[in-house]
Amino acid sequence: MKATASRVGIVGTLGLGVLLLIAALLLMAAAPSQAHGQEPRLGKLPEPARSELNTLVTAANQRGLPTEALVDRALEGLAKGASAQAIIAAVGRLRDELVVAHRALGPGATGPEVTAGANAIRAGASGDELTRLKTLRADRSLVVAAGVFADLVASGVPADTAIGAVMALAADVADADYLAFRRTIQRDIAVGVSPMAAIDVRLRGLAEQGLTAGDTPGSVGGGTRVKRKP
Amino acid sequence: MTDHDEVLERAIEGLKAPPELSPDFTVRVMASIAADETPERAPRPRWWRRRWTIEVTPLSLAAAAALGVLAVGLSRAGREGPVPTVVETAALATSTPAAQVTQFLLVAPGADSVSVVGDFNDWSATATPLARANGDGLWWVTVPLSPGRYRYAFVVNGTVWRPDPQTSVVEDEFGRPNSVVTIGGA
Repeated sequence: MKATASRVGIVGTLGLGVLLLIAALLLMAAAPSQAHGQEPRLGKLPEPARSELNTLVTAANQRGLPTEALVDRALEGLAKGASAQAIIAAVGRLRDELVVAHRALGPGATGPEVTAGANAIRAGASGDELTRLKTLRADRSLVVAAGVFADLVASGVPADTAIGAVMALAADVADADYLAFRRTIQRDIAVGVSPMAAIDVRLRGLAEQGLTAGDTPGSVGGGTRVKRKP
Repeated sequence: MTDHDEVLERAIEGLKAPPELSPDFTVRVMASIAADETPERAPRPRWWRRRWTIEVTPLSLAAAAALGVLAVGLSRAGREGPVPTVVETAALATSTPAAQVTQFLLVAPGADSVSVVGDFNDWSATATPLARANGDGLWWVTVPLSPGRYRYAFVVNGTVWRPDPQTSVVEDEFGRPNSVVTIGGA
């Protein structure tokens, strides 16, 4: 009787080991799909939204688009209690903007640049304007320039005025100058200056310091309007 | 040999002889078996429904645990995606010169807790709590951020969402406004 129990015990232990081994193999087999086809952070979302967003993110990744912002947007919607439909719509819209930015900036653009470009597209820049901005910034990152453009628009500066200002500074200024320029404009607006007047006056000031290109809208013939470049 | 022995011998011979059976003996026995109402045996349970008895020794338990740990470790190997822990963020701040330490401030007298949520922490209301600075209701936290544009908001007492009152830049597409901060390189 005792011998039988021992044999059952051995068989049971072996069986447990085999089961664990199978589990390990299954997990190993599942790991690559999580790495390449599933975004773990989307696991917080309920089905079927999770599957739909995973498909969207995976497809974006395969197209060479940065996907971090897509996941962030989904998590933002989740944290704010938005409906699955609203989250999917928001992520899809951002994906479309990333596509435009990616096309405009070319294959050499970094993920953060494409994401910043998508923000600029959302704020009202065109793909052509992004391409030109990238050309003007040459070997510098586009992240802050595009971000400042979006910030200016969000502060009340019309998109065409804001893109003209950012382009005027593009060839000459460092990221820190862009950020200082934005702070100054926001402060001007906060004390009651109209956004367009603030842009015009501040660009003139920078032009006198030699910080803007020669043909900046604010420095031409005393004109006060910053025009969108053709 | 005595008379007694002869009687005994006959008795033994009689016992050795096979009994005489009637010709229908076999038929009757089989009929009797068939008529016997023995209850039908219950079907044997399938192997996956059968109860197992497993005896586990400390050694086998340790082996099983090691296999389990190995399985989990292998399943995690190669996964992508940032894990926003304090340790990794701190390492980023010291090893990446481009990362900027950004300070988030909120004056919220009477608040029991304040946290900041945003693109930098998966919008988790528990990932980045603000510390109470003094008795005036000032709350603050510093977060190292790489160059980029981040959407964020404050969450007061775990439920009340507030944009940053110090910035005029507000965006939203989910019904709760965000603030935006653009971080440049060092």
